[in-house]
Amino acid sequence: MNNREKSSSLAEIRGNFGRLGGVKLGKIKHNPIVKKLGFNRIILCCVLVLMYVLFCFTGKNFAGLPRILSALNYVYFLGFLSLGVTFVIGTGGIDFSIGPVMFCAALVSGFCLTSHGMPVLLCLLISILVGTMFGIFNGYLVSYWSVPPFIVSMASMNIAKGVASVFTKTQSVSWPQGVDANGWFRKLIKVGDFPVGLVIFLVFAVICSVILNKTRAGRYILSLGSNKEAVRLSGVNVRKWEMLAYVICGTMAGIAAIFFVAAYTTVQPGYGDTYNNEAIAGCVMGGTSMAGGLASIGGTVIGVFIIALLQEGILALGFTKDYQLIITGLIVIGAVYADVVARRRRN
Amino acid sequence: MGEVILKMKEISKAFPGVQALDKVDFEVKRGEVHALMGENGAGKSTLMKVLTGIYAKDSGTITFEGKEVEFHNTRDAQKAGIVIVHQELNMLGHLTVAQNIFIGREFKKGIRIDDRKMNEETKKLFDRLHIDIEPTETMSNLTVGKQQMCEIAKAISHDAKVIVFDEPSAALTETEIEELFKIIRDLRKQQIGIVYISHRMDEIKVITDRVTVMRDGCYVGTLITEECTKDDIINMMVGRVIYENPKEKSMVAEDAPVVLKVEHLNAGKMVRDVSFELRKGEILGFSGLMGAGRTETARAIFGADAKESGDIYVNGQKVEINSPEEAVKCGIGYLSEDRKRYGIVVHKTVAENSTMACLGDYVRGLFINKKAERNISQDYVNSLATKTPGVDELVVNLSGGNQQKVVIAKWLIRDCDILIFDEPTRGIDVGAKNEIYKLMNRLASEGKSIIMISSEMTEILRMSDRIVVMCEGKKTGEISIEEASQESIMNMATREIG
Repeated sequence: MNNREKSSSLAEIRGNFGRLGGVKLGKIKHNPIVKKLGFNRIILCCVLVLMYVLFCFTGKNFAGLPRILSALNYVYFLGFLSLGVTFVIGTGGIDFSIGPVMFCAALVSGFCLTSHGMPVLLCLLISILVGTMFGIFNGYLVSYWSVPPFIVSMASMNIAKGVASVFTKTQSVSWPQGVDANGWFRKLIKVGDFPVGLVIFLVFAVICSVILNKTRAGRYILSLGSNKEAVRLSGVNVRKWEMLAYVICGTMAGIAAIFFVAAYTTVQPGYGDTYNNEAIAGCVMGGTSMAGGLASIGGTVIGVFIIALLQEGILALGFTKDYQLIITGLIVIGAVYADVVARRRRN
Repeated sequence: MGEVILKMKEISKAFPGVQALDKVDFEVKRGEVHALMGENGAGKSTLMKVLTGIYAKDSGTITFEGKEVEFHNTRDAQKAGIVIVHQELNMLGHLTVAQNIFIGREFKKGIRIDDRKMNEETKKLFDRLHIDIEPTETMSNLTVGKQQMCEIAKAISHDAKVIVFDEPSAALTETEIEELFKIIRDLRKQQIGIVYISHRMDEIKVITDRVTVMRDGCYVGTLITEECTKDDIINMMVGRVIYENPKEKSMVAEDAPVVLKVEHLNAGKMVRDVSFELRKGEILGFSGLMGAGRTETARAIFGADAKESGDIYVNGQKVEINSPEEAVKCGIGYLSEDRKRYGIVVHKTVAENSTMACLGDYVRGLFINKKAERNISQDYVNSLATKTPGVDELVVNLSGGNQQKVVIAKWLIRDCDILIFDEPTRGIDVGAKNEIYKLMNRLASEGKSIIMISSEMTEILRMSDRIVVMCEGKKTGEISIEEASQESIMNMATREIG
């Protein structure tokens, strides 16, 4: 099976599983344990494991720790982007600016570090702040001025790129290496061979999940994604909560920037938009509905793992980065189509 | 009445967990108006969807014009001559009437669309049906009633032999319903078979020849309309006779305080200088024709839409209400006429919908106290007799009447003292309707004050202590229940004030 088939079969699994199995599947789906974990998520986990095994057999030197650690580097920053955008998609909105905002945060804070000699800790905070600012900007325009999120985030994508270029005078920025005195922040992802980043990421995922499912913010964010007018007419300040989703998303992009530079150190201005697709793909694949109202953090986490593994696998199979773009693009379409099919069946 | 044109025999259809149709029989003769009745969830729509090919049946046969048929989609059914006129209108507002009617099958002159021919054909069609609408008029300029006429004309232009009307009168005014009936009688004369789905008992008596009643997916029986009474039909639908007694005099104490006072309210074209008072424990009926501005008035009071001027007093205190949030803080709750769009959140459970207006009270520290939330929701499920498998059921799986009860529970849990019920029983079956009436009377006797907007005259006369009548955005009258009659209200509802 080559990669392209692989990606479309992913979509099929998401879209068709209900029809494939018939009665037996129905039984499995209603098993209380399966219900608790979520049938889709179990399927996604299986896909993840299968993909890994597949790459181990077909890819060059794929099995083993180095590849896993390399894939994890991808998981971290993409994971934070995906977690953030899950909130926005949960409101029925979209944010196409997260990738460039992440780069903008990394560049601005990195420039503060390398050219102005600010302390590392402060720079990391600046990174988060930059992300949050963009979140506030997007959120305010979407919720208080009712500008369509598609337009707002497209525009702020370009603004983020522009701001980063102006700030750094179109120079790329290299954060310090691990051996430097200032390189301690790289331990955020790895101490020796121990993936600290994975722990941090999973902790954040749990926090996000709690916010989404157990707090007022999460309840209102998903409810307004499902039926904004009904929530407004219940006397809820929907604008505030809708904006909050974008702010969370922006903050997450700022955190993602930290993990990006911790993994790859060098950031170039003018890029970052490819990660939008990947983050959204991970989110939607995990069962978050583009129409809003339904979101699953657990699903997003698995989705992110799949996307990251795929990026790594494609390279390991000897394809160039261009194929990554093609395949991720197809996955986004596949995942969103599966969501559309699922929604149609529900109605 | 002619011979049987359409016969459905022993139709069964199951959805996961539900037997939606269980060996249902149904037939329509040429030139007959056949009512299909039953409570919500009885299977009427499912039966019609099986007929027109939207759902595939599990078993049974459909015979149309003597041949056994099976349609796979609505277009197949349309081609054969079976069309549905849906409750919701499927018209494009920015196109003309003629363009809408011939959409998808436009006449062409070369590559250009031949608008003149379409207008002529539409004119011919309208003349045949005695519809008085200009084919070149833009659709969005027409009233809902006129748009419905166009929808019917469009159905007939498909050379229909059987037309299914799915609650055609839900959005129509009394005069428009009269016009609709005229058209239906015309169609009957032309030997077209008509299926008429409606909840309104009065209409059934007036327009139909036979009535078939369904209950819980089963066929209950068919009656000849002339030979049966309203109660016979209701009995078959619910298996029991019930009806809340009409009010003969106001139940409000003489000295009951005024809880809501609205003075000179203005909001857009539809709310012009509206003033009224609502007293404690009162059910204040808002009557008027469709488009009289009643919903707009309610929304302006509730802060859902912006208002231009006017003062609102709650319990004697002047209040500023610019958003639903502020209205709710003043203890006002609003049940929208469009439950699906403005009332419920479909992806959420009964419990989650119930606490939507006061989630803050169910937050402990940072987290929602789900146990308390479930408990309070369960209390209201019990006291309102909401039929649901549990409070963790998604609200979308409940029937219309029970969804309405969840929305009511939402406002009761919020402890709102002033409730605005906008068409509270629209699209709800007889049994549930009666329960809603009882509930409203109970709430009023417990000291809640209710504004009830309703387009059904019988409902207004049955429930209100006092009636405010509106016409074209203005209040045209106010009358106590003792003096009110259909005629007096209708008079005010059609009265123009300069």
